[in-house]
Amino acid sequence: MTHRFSAGRTTLLAGAVGSLILASSAVFAQQPPGLSPLDKSNPKASKQDGNLKPHATPSLATPAEKIPIDKLKLPAGFKAEIWSHGHPGGRTMVMGPKGTVFMGSRIIGRVYAITDKNGKREVKIIAQGLTQPNGLAIGKDGALYVLAINRVLRYDNIEDKLDNPGDPVELTKEFNLPPEIHHNWKYADFGPDGKLYIQVGANCNICEINPGVHGQIRRYNADGSGMEIVARGVRNTVGFDWHPVTKELWFTDNGRDWAGDAGPEDELNRVAKGQEGANYGFPYCHANGIPDPDVKRPSPCAGVVMPAALTGPHSAGMGIKFYTGEMFPKAYQNVAFIARRGSWNKADKYGYDVVLARTSDGKAKIEPFLTGLLDQKKNEFYGRPTYLLQMKDGSMLVSDEQNGAIYRISYSGKK
Amino acid sequence: MNGLKRQWRPSAVGLAAVLILSSAAVAQNLPLTERIQQCGGCHGEDGNSQIEKVPSLAGQPEFFTINQLVLMREGVRRIEAMMPFVNDLKDEDILALAKHFASLPPKRSEEAVDPALVNRGAEIAEARRCASCHLPSLAGQEQMPRLAKQRIDYMIYALKSYLTDSRTGADTAMTAAILGASDADIAALAHYAASR
Repeated sequence: MTHRFSAGRTTLLAGAVGSLILASSAVFAQQPPGLSPLDKSNPKASKQDGNLKPHATPSLATPAEKIPIDKLKLPAGFKAEIWSHGHPGGRTMVMGPKGTVFMGSRIIGRVYAITDKNGKREVKIIAQGLTQPNGLAIGKDGALYVLAINRVLRYDNIEDKLDNPGDPVELTKEFNLPPEIHHNWKYADFGPDGKLYIQVGANCNICEINPGVHGQIRRYNADGSGMEIVARGVRNTVGFDWHPVTKELWFTDNGRDWAGDAGPEDELNRVAKGQEGANYGFPYCHANGIPDPDVKRPSPCAGVVMPAALTGPHSAGMGIKFYTGEMFPKAYQNVAFIARRGSWNKADKYGYDVVLARTSDGKAKIEPFLTGLLDQKKNEFYGRPTYLLQMKDGSMLVSDEQNGAIYRISYSGKK
Repeated sequence: MNGLKRQWRPSAVGLAAVLILSSAAVAQNLPLTERIQQCGGCHGEDGNSQIEKVPSLAGQPEFFTINQLVLMREGVRRIEAMMPFVNDLKDEDILALAKHFASLPPKRSEEAVDPALVNRGAEIAEARRCASCHLPSLAGQEQMPRLAKQRIDYMIYALKSYLTDSRTGADTAMTAAILGASDADIAALAHYAASR
């Protein structure tokens, strides 16, 4: 497997992520924390290259001059520039009311704060040593919620004390989230209803999950009370947003691995008004109604909400953001941008881009937007877009986890 | 490095941050040769450890060592014995140390290798597909460590840490790969790795 991030460079790799590589014949009697003993991954039956494995994330940032900004391709009139860099592993982005951009991460365990001082960005580490603090949300009065796998923390008035955040308010007990690590790094955001929406992924690649605990999107009151299940049978959503007009929840969902290079494809889903708690199919039914080859039951797709759109095999759709700014042309208004981190469980790499989802009537059409980070001919990638953030001026930030950089997309063409 | 203004402040891991803050002031400019000597005190002057349960670093992939040092410095992989040595490491130090240890030839420890266990370990390694990440030679690659010629007692300790999910900072790949292994399986894997 060749990709640009190979030994000998100064960029480095962090822990392998995600799916299980288990001997298919092995019978496992024990259940350690963090993993389901029922995993039915079957690499042999998938006829895939058994040596495929997740691409590691560098634990030091790419030097500025090596950030692949020149590779980025956008539609006419759009421009990309490096907005900030030097925050290795930075993924999720939220903005405080005073304009600070906060960034969550996974393996490196940091939360960054990025401020803009006279057009220059300053990067600070406001928390470290956390277990995959990927979930960030800004609450009422600008409090920053940090959701690690095993903890929920709230930093009050954080923007007034970035240099000395002090001890956060510990809300871990109140939220009482499951401790398993697998697919359990959080995505979180406050909805239009003021509730904190949180993902709880399946604790395996493919297995019978406990539907009362895993494979859900939940919502809570800001203090951790009043939990409700918003969506079930969701394997691993790592991004959601609300449609600006309908206020319905839309979420990305990553399909299972080791069932073929061709899929089942990832999904873009919608929770229609009044359909809260609906079932999205995992583990029995994938994509547009594909029964699982390893976990079977009669009528696997009965009662399952079909996706609004398929978003490609192993493409790893992550952050989604409906555009509501005034900088981009009208044709982009209320259109969803989706960052696709790119495949690992697929011989020919796929994704590593930002696509658009034009939604109407509960369905969506996917179009390319930001490309150039994947060289299909060489089967190499140069960066991994993970999350999106709309700025006050209507420009759009895209985080690149692989390079520890954020790109700013602006428009200066005709409207 | 890379324009990152690092500001160590009280954080979610207050203690680690304070440690970093205090010792950074005293030892920031230790030359590389002295740092290597420090490492050698436990990990062996030539990077091949002669101390029980202390891993050999000789021949480890550069990426692996950099990665682990960063995670230890961040307090993500917490090893108390390592804290005094890693908490003031700069990115440049980490890069240089990793390069140094990658260049040293790995040597087997003085521990006795049991051929019967080696054979059994080879079978288990095959079934658990160790080579798909650590390579058939077990030399390791990228973020995956070299296992070949590693100390047997350390391998047993490390595999048990994965088995019980007590190795902090690791993702789920190794927990999954070692799931359900018995003590005998782990011993066999350790002897097999040492023999490679």
